[in-house]
Amino acid sequence: MNITTSQCFLLASLLLTSVAIVPTQDLQATAPSPPPSLSPEKVSDYLHSIIEADRNIYTTYVVKRMQEKGIVLAREDWESSNAIPLPAQFLHYSSKLVAESGHGVRFRLISLWPIHRRNGPATEFERKALEDLQDAPDTPQRGIVTSGKKKFFQSIYADKGITQACIICHNSHPLSPKRDFQVGDLMGGVVITIPLDE
Amino acid sequence: MSTILTSETPIKRKKGLTTKLVLSMLLVGALPLLIGLFLAFYQGTQKIQEVNGASFEALATETARKIDIVVADELTRTALLTTDVDIVTFLEEQRDALNALSPSASAEVLQQEQARWEAGDPDQAHAITQGPIAEKLKAQIEGTFIDPGHPIPIITRSATRALYMTDIAGRLIASIDHKPSYLHAQEPWWQGAFHKRVGQPYLSPIAFDPQLNTYTFTLALPIMDRLRYEAVGILRRVYDVKEFFAPSIETIRFGKTGHVMLIDSRGVVLSCPILPTGTTLGDPQLIPLVTPMQAGWTSAPSDGHGGQDTSIIGFAPLDNTSRITRASSGVGWHMFVWQSSEELFAPIQQFFQWTAAFGILGVGLLVTLGYLAAHRISAPIRRLQEAARRIGRGEFQEPIVMTTGDEIEELAEEINRMNEQLASQFAGLESQVALKTQEVEYLQESTSQILDSVPDPVIMITPEETIEYLNQASKNVLAITNGNSEGRPFFELLNLDPATQAKLHQEIEAVKHSSLPPIVPKTQEPNTKNLKDPLSQTNWGDTGDTRQELRLNQRTYRYRWFSVHVHPGKDACIGLVLRDSTEESLLQDQLIQGEKLASLGVLSAGIGHELNNPLVGVIGLGEAIQDEDNMENMKGYAKDIVQHGKRMAAIIRDFTGQIGNQFLESKTVIDINAQLTQAINVVKGQFPSESITVNLRLETIPPLRAKPYELGQALTNVLTNAFQAISGTGTIDISTSANEEGIHIRIADTGAGIAPSHLPKVFDPFFTTKGQGEGSGLGLTVAYRIITKLGGQIRLENNPKQGTICHITFPLSVEHPTTRKDDGS
Repeated sequence: MNITTSQCFLLASLLLTSVAIVPTQDLQATAPSPPPSLSPEKVSDYLHSIIEADRNIYTTYVVKRMQEKGIVLAREDWESSNAIPLPAQFLHYSSKLVAESGHGVRFRLISLWPIHRRNGPATEFERKALEDLQDAPDTPQRGIVTSGKKKFFQSIYADKGITQACIICHNSHPLSPKRDFQVGDLMGGVVITIPLDE
Repeated sequence: MSTILTSETPIKRKKGLTTKLVLSMLLVGALPLLIGLFLAFYQGTQKIQEVNGASFEALATETARKIDIVVADELTRTALLTTDVDIVTFLEEQRDALNALSPSASAEVLQQEQARWEAGDPDQAHAITQGPIAEKLKAQIEGTFIDPGHPIPIITRSATRALYMTDIAGRLIASIDHKPSYLHAQEPWWQGAFHKRVGQPYLSPIAFDPQLNTYTFTLALPIMDRLRYEAVGILRRVYDVKEFFAPSIETIRFGKTGHVMLIDSRGVVLSCPILPTGTTLGDPQLIPLVTPMQAGWTSAPSDGHGGQDTSIIGFAPLDNTSRITRASSGVGWHMFVWQSSEELFAPIQQFFQWTAAFGILGVGLLVTLGYLAAHRISAPIRRLQEAARRIGRGEFQEPIVMTTGDEIEELAEEINRMNEQLASQFAGLESQVALKTQEVEYLQESTSQILDSVPDPVIMITPEETIEYLNQASKNVLAITNGNSEGRPFFELLNLDPATQAKLHQEIEAVKHSSLPPIVPKTQEPNTKNLKDPLSQTNWGDTGDTRQELRLNQRTYRYRWFSVHVHPGKDACIGLVLRDSTEESLLQDQLIQGEKLASLGVLSAGIGHELNNPLVGVIGLGEAIQDEDNMENMKGYAKDIVQHGKRMAAIIRDFTGQIGNQFLESKTVIDINAQLTQAINVVKGQFPSESITVNLRLETIPPLRAKPYELGQALTNVLTNAFQAISGTGTIDISTSANEEGIHIRIADTGAGIAPSHLPKVFDPFFTTKGQGEGSGLGLTVAYRIITKLGGQIRLENNPKQGTICHITFPLSVEHPTTRKDDGS
């Protein structure tokens, strides 16, 4: 999807900045005694913390605050209804921007109970990881997956409903398969995919 | 109100009242009607716009959702192919195989394969169009790809014009037919869906396909690898636009012209029951109005179908579809709901026509009723107006009977009352006028009689010099015995010589131009009021103009002009009063002659008396001397004769001396005290026998400039008068004094005094209380004349105790100081 509004430019710059920081830190950290490589686990952890922080800031400081003050609502059809994107959409759009940047690293939201089918687990590994995360949400699921001859490292982090807005929306959306979420429940996971063969 | 009472333009006013009433009724009735009509029309139009706009908006929104679902459904169903494991696996292999080659090698392979495809290599064609993937594509078209028991709607199937798949390099790997070309990596739909390996759905704007001879649009979907990490191929499906949308859109019709239309944000029609697909809306200004991101309705200046009427257009974007199309090519898809204005506003126009018809009917009714009502009001008012006019002309009439039961009836009663009052007042006035006329007639008659009884002729002439009136006397004078003389020229009656006529004519003109006050001639006033000197020559001249003499028929008349207003508003008439002065002047002459003789007689008698006594004495003494022998006695007699002679001489001197001496003497400075003393001695000498005490009290007084003999005579005369008054024993007090006012001489005797009736006459000539021969009656007269001539005053008054006091005063002469110095030296 194309991001055309100014809000999305803001988000894009935010995310790009955060992504750009990672290799800089990496260089600085590795300058004195250069190790042969940085483990993909570390890289994905770094990325996840940034992604999570950005989305939480957007959720708490923008969406929640604006909605509480009654200034503007966050809606799925934000483009045609003078609203702002949902936090999940925020993550989708930033994910798309990162993918379009051509660095190879990708991330997306998946769930066992997706509102749109395309956000379901794509592979068996993802499905299993989501199920495992239900039992141990604090332990990210990691593994190496293949697409044809291509190898990728994947880390899947638990994604919880952090505000009431997340819960209400998912419990009431007509396409939502599960409608008994509560705040703090595991709602899905963030998949970070890092290509290994490049 | 004025319409009733003013009688000058009654017809005009009458019509004005009716018109006014009808107009006001029209205003009261028709204006609200028209305003209401307009408001109803306006409100109705607004409401119809709002209601229809809202309906159109709802319909547009609903249809947009429907089309959204149709598109989304098609997209989802087609997307099933992109998640097929076999296809994904095959494409991953294709990718890996390509990745194994060097870029130049892979490019060469692509070129070779393209050449084969174009050459129609049967093996390759078979693999692509008959291979397992192609079979899957065909199953999709057939609708048996997912569930063979439930094929997808025939519409979408039949609308599909192409369905094929490429790999990561844009190579054709499967197609339902032979039509597609082999390499697609450079085509917009391919790049749009591939999207730098990220992959995103692509919906193209509609475009004319010359091969298919129809408008088509492309749906391109990325085929992601099994990790959904990147696109490994693209699925393209081409639809005939008309065929795809028509079943969902062109069936929606309402009314005669109401329909739904799918357009894109460029204004290109995708599907419309009226406009052909691919046409662009005629009015460029309309496009932004109806393609916002939100649903709504607008009152647009044109209808988008070639009409230029104001149109109500409902519109709504296809939210989900537009999200894809905008991301793909920047063009959004929108619903457009429209109905022709004629049809839309037909009800309100019909309503307007009906109400307008009723309005015209109402106005007509109002005019008719208004005219009737105005007639009902104005007719009695007209009657009242007629009555008032007749009353105004003085034609009294029968009381007006009116039973309208409103203010007009009251007004009629008021007019009746006014009529009665006026009638009674006019009756009183008439009798008064008759009385006054009678009085005037009596007055005229009496005036005429009075004037006729006046013996003097009185003539009145008009300013044109014709006779206005002649009294009996004038008729007699002018010898008019019969016939009416009025109107005849004035000068025709008077038989005058031309010079006199000219003079009279001049006088008439003068009177005409100085006719105020008319009756009393101007020249009389100064004579009576200012007491001018009657001897003044100019005075005679003045009176001469109006009091002149006229000779008529051998008689002399004095005449006088006067001016009198006879007829009101006309010029004053000129009156002429004549008085026959023929006998009068004769009598006056005789009278003057008589008076002269009488005064001469008195004078000669007085002188005769005065001289007779001494003359008798002289004669007696002369006879005695003739008979006397004694010398001594003769001497004594002679002495007496001398005395009598002196006295006679004194009497004659009294008459004549004043005239003679006053020219001989000249004025010198005189001591009054010395003169007084001298005079006392002279007078004492005349009264030797009488025992009269003279008390002298003389103060030093300033000298007086006078003629000594004259002053002495005056003092002598006064003292003589005093001595004579005492006649025997008495006292005379004489005193002199001086103050700032002047010199004062006081002579008081203890005589008999003067009778109050005589006091005013004491200085008159020949007035005397003394017996025959005792006094001439001229003494005090002479004294008075002398003293007055010197600037002094003499006054006699009765002493309250006894006798008379004589006061003589002289003013202080300006030359006193110098004369006194001369005296001192």
